[in-house]
Amino acid sequence: MGEWSEPGETRAGRPLDLGALLARVARGDEAAFETVYDGVAPSVFGLVRRVVRDPAQSEEVTQDVLLELWRTAYRFETAKGSAMTWVMTLAHRRAVDRVRSAQAAAAREARAATPEADPQDAAEAALDRIDKERVRRCLGALTELQREAVTLAYYSGYTYQQVAGLLGVALGTVKTRMRDGLIRLRDCMGVEW
Amino acid sequence: MVSIRGFGHPALHTLAGAYVLDALDDADRARFERHVARCDSCLQEVRGLRETTALLGSAVAERPPERLRAQVLAAAARTRQQPLAGAADRRAGPGWPGNRVWRDLAGRRGWLPRVALATAAASLAIAVALAVVSVTTQHRLNGAEERNRQVAAVLTSRDAVLITAPVTTGGTATVVMSHASRMIVFSARGLRGLPSARSYELWLIGPEGTRPAGMLPPPTHGMTAPMVAAGVAAGDKVGVTVEPAQGSRQPTMPPVLMLPLPD
Repeated sequence: MGEWSEPGETRAGRPLDLGALLARVARGDEAAFETVYDGVAPSVFGLVRRVVRDPAQSEEVTQDVLLELWRTAYRFETAKGSAMTWVMTLAHRRAVDRVRSAQAAAAREARAATPEADPQDAAEAALDRIDKERVRRCLGALTELQREAVTLAYYSGYTYQQVAGLLGVALGTVKTRMRDGLIRLRDCMGVEW
Repeated sequence: MVSIRGFGHPALHTLAGAYVLDALDDADRARFERHVARCDSCLQEVRGLRETTALLGSAVAERPPERLRAQVLAAAARTRQQPLAGAADRRAGPGWPGNRVWRDLAGRRGWLPRVALATAAASLAIAVALAVVSVTTQHRLNGAEERNRQVAAVLTSRDAVLITAPVTTGGTATVVMSHASRMIVFSARGLRGLPSARSYELWLIGPEGTRPAGMLPPPTHGMTAPMVAAGVAAGDKVGVTVEPAQGSRQPTMPPVLMLPLPD
């Protein structure tokens, strides 16, 4: 994975050994946690903000994720993936949980599912905001359907059933495009796992 | 919800993409995780795809407001960590960093003054450890299986919350509460040892009176096996006193723990 394995950096700009820091955090090392915060908060906040959108709720979710790291750093196991991936997996789940519970509450109250903005706009907006050149290039190399399926689920927090509805394609097609789209991204970005 | 039951493993395998994108509902997620638990190649694929989605996430990084840093660091300083039972937690399921239960439990949080109220996600770690302890040491007891079933029911309830608090004479008490079922699971670790004629007794204490909730079993490796107490009422506190080994109908000693339950 090389340059991509640990996107975080310390405030001083040095590369971050997040796995080692998490081991220190697991032992209650508050200084290590500060360094972890500086290293991962922009990635966590950026992703949460993409999914949750509302700034205040995004801050709440980001805080939850960081505190979750503090409490459960002992769960991280190097053998199962990179530390940054562990953090981002947690962040995405929390963000999606927030969006879905908000959706559920809204649906209960309004009993009307207002369609979101045009999915193609959403996919393009996602692409515009992506500042990592390689990720942008690899996303651009997907088929349109692959890219929309992946970005609507990942950046907008839709379930695959919702994605199928938004794109007007069959469920089976959506889940297949999500998988083969991600496989193509994985290979394009040189992920080794 | 769309069921994918009946399509067999090939259909399940194709859910790997939707799974790492968190695009499955709870039922499909659970089915996929059960599948992955038996499928090494699926697990391998999930890991690679997760590394990939993490890169998508980091690609939209955005600096958070500066005040958030101070808030988070201050909150961490007063938030108890959950270092317990990491090993047992790892046995809990294939869905690193958490299985479906972990995810269902996530999201409930907060803390009371001087009491760490951690996420119920963390409670699972403790709970699994406790269940393991109780299974390995008490399998000979006929009631153990039913007790474990009740423990699991509380711990996996959607509204489970975890509270830990220090015991005044030493040690830490852990309570997992489900409002919906009006049940708690209680355990403790590091309690001070007692002479053989004495035992710790658990109480529910509140507007509905003081009700005995059982004698704490002797600890194994410093940890008491989880006890279930049902019929928790609004305003109840969880109390522990030292009593004669056969137990008392009402507390005869001042409590070593008096823990308010969240409303």
